[in-house]
Amino acid sequence: MKKLEEYKEDIVDIKKPKERRIFIRVKSENFKKFLSSLIEDLDLRHLSTITGLDTGQEMELLYHFSYKYSVEITIGVKVPKSSPKVPTITDLIPGAIFYEQEIHDLLGIEFEGHPNLGPLIVPEGWPEGVYPLRKEYTVQELNRIARGGK
Amino acid sequence: MSYGTTIKVPFGPQHPALKEPEYFLFEVDGDIVVKVTPRIGYVHRGVEKAFEQETYLHNLYLAERICGICSHAHSTCYTQTIEGLIPLEIPPRAVYIRLIMAELERLHSHSLWVGIAAHEAGFDTLFMYLWRDREMIMDLMEEISGNRVTHAINTIGGVRRDITSEQATKIKKFLEKFESNVKEYTKVLESEQTFIKRTKDVGVLKPRDAIVLCAVGPTLRASGIKSDVRADDPYLAYGEIPFNVITHDGCDVYARTIVRCEEMIESANIIRYALDHLPEGKIKVPPPRTIAPNESVGRVEAPRGELIHYARSNGTNKPERYKVRAPTLGNLASVCQTLIGAHVADIPLILAGIDPCFSCMDRVIITKKSV
Repeated sequence: MKKLEEYKEDIVDIKKPKERRIFIRVKSENFKKFLSSLIEDLDLRHLSTITGLDTGQEMELLYHFSYKYSVEITIGVKVPKSSPKVPTITDLIPGAIFYEQEIHDLLGIEFEGHPNLGPLIVPEGWPEGVYPLRKEYTVQELNRIARGGK
Repeated sequence: MSYGTTIKVPFGPQHPALKEPEYFLFEVDGDIVVKVTPRIGYVHRGVEKAFEQETYLHNLYLAERICGICSHAHSTCYTQTIEGLIPLEIPPRAVYIRLIMAELERLHSHSLWVGIAAHEAGFDTLFMYLWRDREMIMDLMEEISGNRVTHAINTIGGVRRDITSEQATKIKKFLEKFESNVKEYTKVLESEQTFIKRTKDVGVLKPRDAIVLCAVGPTLRASGIKSDVRADDPYLAYGEIPFNVITHDGCDVYARTIVRCEEMIESANIIRYALDHLPEGKIKVPPPRTIAPNESVGRVEAPRGELIHYARSNGTNKPERYKVRAPTLGNLASVCQTLIGAHVADIPLILAGIDPCFSCMDRVIITKKSV
């Protein structure tokens, strides 16, 4: 992983807990630029999935790339809760389309430039602005909303 | 021929050609599909949110119920992820037992799918043969684990049941019969003109598209890409067991069928090898109840392809976040691409081609019926 050294300005933290698992945390500024040059340098083609998390004060996105289908490289970036916006990566990895759409449904993160951020998973008539995976929604509250607010 | 205008055809969520509820909006020009917009989530039960409410041990049973076909793949991935969080090494015998169950599950899942492919192509006789053989596997798995579908053999720190030497002999005897049957069915599929004409050049997914759309599993391998989590990122004992990654460069439904047939033969060899090299010793170690803050990614080659789980712990006995991505969601982007340019009549066959498991994709679980 010699190449990663060249990115140390953008990288906040690197962890290698076990064989074929790497966790990289990067700064949110220049995130897209960082990601596109990393994708090119390492020839990262396979995106396993994207995980979205609500950590309370802010949100986090984890891009799980699989380097040569073997080493799982997780790239984490923080997203402010007040304006949850990140550039889409569907132009770099077309296979990210439904992963981003799902996160938009469940956590309300806006992927700027995504071709279709319409509902994918939430039911018809689901109230706008209710994002089930955010920590402020409890299961009881979500059940109440799913039953039409009663 | 093109009519110059397109018509929107809704497909699902309830549809005779779909075994599970899902919705696709097709835009068709004549009978050629020009655009596909999927809408999933009809069997969504909020499993990821539910994971955050329960303890690690309770969640094992939740993970197992994400899918009704590859339940063992989900529980294997769950235990792998949680054992990575702790971190915890499991005894070698438990590793092998998990692996044997995983390969038996692949055998039943692949025979189920090849049967469905034959059925979709109008070859119901083969469907009946394969599903008859699948019953033998279900019986075997029930004998080993005590359960037909949700086997509940995995636990954090190992497995809950051992495989006895009598059971090992029984499995080997079964494999002999099953393997010769599968070889026979493969020969039939490779020579049966009606099947070949119905599936060759149908649902073509070019290797480049398969890569950029992040396809997984037999769908990816049938487009000529040699990728299998068992070989690329070996877990359990796959690093110690010799086996071949099956690929086919046909890129169509026919190739997907042959890949799965040949994978069944490989699985049979893997099981035989594992039974012959089954280590002695205990089958589980006790896990801690609480887990310090950490994160972990687990990957498993489920019958439908790469399955990935992500977990984050926070020092309590419940996870902070648990994420599941089932292989069908991984294949959704590529199947939508494959459907473009297809005839309407081929839609069910192409959709069936990725071996979709929509419940798995949506992460189903009925926890409590609302009153």
